[in-house]
Amino acid sequence: MARYLLRRMNLFVATSLVLLAVLFIATHHFPVEIRFALTGIHAPTVEQIAQIDRDYRLESNQLGQFIGYLQQRVTGNLGVSATSQQPVIDELAAVLPASFELAIVAAVLALLFGIPLGILASMSKNKITQHTIMTITLTGYSIPVFWLGLTLSLWFGVQLGWLPISGQLNLLYEIDPITGFVLIDTLLSDSPYADSAFIDALQHIILPAVTLAVLPFTVVVRSTRSAIISIMDKTYIKAAEARGLHTSHIVLRHALPNALIPVLKSLGLMLGTFASYAMIVEVIFSWPGVGAWLVSGIYQRDYTVIQGGVLAVALIIIFLSIMIEVLHTAINPLSRKELYAAN
Amino acid sequence: MPQIKIYQEDEIPSPMRRFWHAFLDNPFAFAGLWTVICFLLLALFGPLIAPYAPEQQDPHALLLAPSWDASGTVEHFLGTDDLGRDIFSRLLHGAHLTFGLALGIVLASLVLGFIIGSISGMMKGLKSSILSHLLDALLSIPSLLMAILVVAVMGPGLENVFWAVGIALTPQFVRAIHQAIHEELQKEYVTAARLDGANQFQIFWYVIMPNIWDTLIIQTTLGISAAILDIAALGFLNLGAQAPSPEWGAMVSQGMDNLLTAPWTVTIPGIAILCCVLSINLVGDGLRSALSPLNN
Repeated sequence: MARYLLRRMNLFVATSLVLLAVLFIATHHFPVEIRFALTGIHAPTVEQIAQIDRDYRLESNQLGQFIGYLQQRVTGNLGVSATSQQPVIDELAAVLPASFELAIVAAVLALLFGIPLGILASMSKNKITQHTIMTITLTGYSIPVFWLGLTLSLWFGVQLGWLPISGQLNLLYEIDPITGFVLIDTLLSDSPYADSAFIDALQHIILPAVTLAVLPFTVVVRSTRSAIISIMDKTYIKAAEARGLHTSHIVLRHALPNALIPVLKSLGLMLGTFASYAMIVEVIFSWPGVGAWLVSGIYQRDYTVIQGGVLAVALIIIFLSIMIEVLHTAINPLSRKELYAAN
Repeated sequence: MPQIKIYQEDEIPSPMRRFWHAFLDNPFAFAGLWTVICFLLLALFGPLIAPYAPEQQDPHALLLAPSWDASGTVEHFLGTDDLGRDIFSRLLHGAHLTFGLALGIVLASLVLGFIIGSISGMMKGLKSSILSHLLDALLSIPSLLMAILVVAVMGPGLENVFWAVGIALTPQFVRAIHQAIHEELQKEYVTAARLDGANQFQIFWYVIMPNIWDTLIIQTTLGISAAILDIAALGFLNLGAQAPSPEWGAMVSQGMDNLLTAPWTVTIPGIAILCCVLSINLVGDGLRSALSPLNN
């Protein structure tokens, strides 16, 4: 296992290097002066120019420049934002928690509703129920997320007026950020309005989270269903049936744990799409997360923000997908066997 | 009356025929196939049957409701937007952009991905591992981020969408084909062919290829639906097709200003995207379930 973990670590480092190389090449092709693209400083003084040249080794060859670029980025120097002149890393730290909050709530919603529905779809003998569930999930899979977000906000936000459609919290509440997760901050806060602020935050997150949850929900339903259907044919399920166990016991204790392994795998494959969708949802619902920040960065041609945001999001995705792979190997002895056989 | 069999042998349908019959058994997939064919025809001939030019503005018919509404007229079947442009004509012209461009992107990245994927799949050891992991790094950059990078370098525009979505799609094809070939290489019939003295190319083309067509086809349908959604999303964010363009996602974003007074300017292009992607996914789903009994 240690050897396997080492190999995955290697993969993470190698993939990150490739990613940084892609960013490095892109940075050199931005249609602005290279020092501005690297640091975001508008009109650098002579000393600043000398400092930038030294930091990023602009005098040396391409490889030297790449090493300089790596050193700066790895030590957390992402430059300053061209529009706000704040360090990009601070802005990133401010927007990342909001994105995580949205993504976690959406993922929990998707798993909470997706797995039971997937089991139901696989167990149902009724053709109509099966077809209905499959049609609904296929529609959910095909729906353009920006349109879904707009339609939901038009219905529930404007016409029915049930839910707020923009932002994270009503501006009237003043909650000091502690963890950055508004749902937790409002609970921790000692302000007299903490309870109503929590309810307000909860109302704000419903629409964006539901919009974002549609894609993982459909993926979870479909993969749970197909996994359980294929597992129910296995001999150990037949053995459990022959022992006279109750169907619910068989499904929940014998089939489901094994069915969740391919579900995990399909969730890992979906991460990139999920991140794209999350960015669009953030833009539609003015959610102050990394996606909205990045999209406003591209509108303003804020090259340091673009680099920092792309780097952060892609690193998170690489890390999470490798973590999911490790988890997959850890809980699935069969894939470990394959691993040892290969070595 | 039972049929009398004169001949001893039964007619055994070819795999292709069995596959086609399995596909026909699924009414949803078949309906999807017809819809896809309709969209394909619209993408080709849509501009010919459109009653108005996509940018023609009618100052007497601003924000006209669709024809089934009491205030709508049949001249503008699906209503007009805030500049008096006929939505139906714009949709027809947009089919060419959204659907046609998606097909083009998928075709280009399929060819590229197929070449890289088969080379890396047939190779062994370090070279293959480097080639496939190099693209894993690209795979981990979501298509939207890739598009943002491309737009930052080249500026917004429909032709840059081609690069952005293409770069994001290619690694998926490479990975799928690499894995499919890799799996087939482990099987015994390949070893048998190798013992018969087949060289690498013969093994690839005559032995493995016939067995990975299904993966390729399924991956292509997935790619087309992903490409349409990406093109539309980029158009919506103003990073792809620009304002007067009748690309469907751009139409949604142009209708955003009048979302409250004229919701149909947003709803109708959205439904067009949904129908298009849904029909492709139905076909893809039908293909997959038609192929799976053959595999088992």
